[in-house]
Amino acid sequence: MQKDFHYYATYCAAILSGYTHEEAMVICYSDQFVDLCSATLLSKLKAPKSAATTQLQLELMDSRTDIISLQNITRIWSSFHFLPGDLYAKREKCSKSYLNKYRLICKPNSDLLLSTVEHAKDKSLQAVGLAMHVLADTWAHSYFAGTPSLVINNTDPYFFELIPDGDDYTERRITFMHKTSIKDDPDSSTYVSSLYQSSENSIMNLGHGRAGHLPDYSFIRYRYLPAWGDYDDILKDNPSDYIHAFAQMIEAMKYLRGANASFQKSCYDFEAISPYRDEIDAIIKKRQLDACADWKAFGEKLSGHTIEDFDLNKYQSEYMEAPSKLKDETFIGRFILAAMVQKSMVTNAIFESGNILAGFSVNYWKKGFRGIKDYKKLLELFSI
Amino acid sequence: MTALQRIKNIITALCMIACSIILLVFPENGYYFVLLLLSLSLTIYGIKTLVYYFTMARKMVGGQSILYRGVVILDLGIFSLTVADNPTVFAIVYLLLIHLFTGVVDILRALEAKSIAAPSWRFKFISGVVNIILALIAFISGAVMKSMETLVYLYCLGLLSSAGAKLISAFRRTAIVYIQ
Repeated sequence: MQKDFHYYATYCAAILSGYTHEEAMVICYSDQFVDLCSATLLSKLKAPKSAATTQLQLELMDSRTDIISLQNITRIWSSFHFLPGDLYAKREKCSKSYLNKYRLICKPNSDLLLSTVEHAKDKSLQAVGLAMHVLADTWAHSYFAGTPSLVINNTDPYFFELIPDGDDYTERRITFMHKTSIKDDPDSSTYVSSLYQSSENSIMNLGHGRAGHLPDYSFIRYRYLPAWGDYDDILKDNPSDYIHAFAQMIEAMKYLRGANASFQKSCYDFEAISPYRDEIDAIIKKRQLDACADWKAFGEKLSGHTIEDFDLNKYQSEYMEAPSKLKDETFIGRFILAAMVQKSMVTNAIFESGNILAGFSVNYWKKGFRGIKDYKKLLELFSI
Repeated sequence: MTALQRIKNIITALCMIACSIILLVFPENGYYFVLLLLSLSLTIYGIKTLVYYFTMARKMVGGQSILYRGVVILDLGIFSLTVADNPTVFAIVYLLLIHLFTGVVDILRALEAKSIAAPSWRFKFISGVVNIILALIAFISGAVMKSMETLVYLYCLGLLSSAGAKLISAFRRTAIVYIQ
């Protein structure tokens, strides 16, 4: 997903779940900030780099392919963008190393999603925004894993777009190009994707790179052969997935602000969106690469307020100028804490499942504090 | 990182340091030793690709291509072992590509960091420039001056820096605490 959904659509979902305009702005800013909070940005802010929620293209290119770098990549992308669907999934006749990667495939409605939402309960609005980012991406990024892997994330040339044609669909073969100089063109079904790299752990094989930005476009439906799928094709229906993501965000945020008593898997607040269903469907299904303007207009109509444009610099000076003891009280300080909680939780779940692709996790209550020092912040957060 | 992985990193780093010391002490014969190492690496890579196919890629759609690749690389590795005393250009191209690629990536990273005013851009920029200079030295000393000793020294520099990085990562704190 991209800014149109993570920023503007999240704002709309927050308003529909009962948050005020000001609260919704904090939530949608934090949601979008997940896609921008890189180690490079954190180093500029003199903030802990362990709180990075994304990696810039060149940060990835610059990464070493040793185990530590791979674990760092996996921690970031699995925790925030490709939440694993089933850490105990079974697959016959395969090696442990294959199974470990297979179990990181992202899917919606997982146990980890429940934990993600639960960990944001009674926390900051920044934590709510971060959790909404993770939730929404489980829909968009389904069937890909947040770790570099050729055997999981590669795609075959067998790739077709389903274009609405009356009550039916016409199929058109998708052409993938590997040039950064060209742009995606839905009119000819030509899209940019990452280059084929036969190395298992190449960063070209991270997430949905091999399928380009197709998972990020709400309008598109496509059929393809995932590398892990035993030659069975998959139909990815983004309009359906995006409307589910939107309705599930409302359900989750109603729980987080205390309007609902619980949050459960496969529950969607379609009732909240029913008065606007046609309008939302029209935005989601419109064949456009960027739906920011449409979502923004819809959000402003919902709340009656102007939604300001996303500004990456907005909260940076507040964080940098705050005294050390008060940094955690700033906007970015709260976001950093939420990011560390999420990363720690997901790393622990992956580690507990017998999979070390995201690195080692040490349970504080069993072994005390060990490992990366940045995480000492969590001790203060949990008042230890 | 498991204890085994840490030990493996330390042993590999020590081997790399030992190799570079041998090369630095006997640079006149070092060139053949470097080529032998590169050919051996290719052979081992071929074997690793085959192992990768049988443990993972055979489950992948279109995974047979990995099998063919493994066979071809292994074949090439064995072949290059038999002609290791021939092509000078092999070493020049190898060193040139490694340093040029690293240099370009570092400079691009520096520009990216500079665009968001991150202070790390200076270090990256200097590192990029140094790598491009090393690539130029590899080209000039190998192709123009025909000085194999300089190429050996450059290769040693690369080995030592990789060994250093492996040692650092072997002792780095990597675990993440979990509190609930």
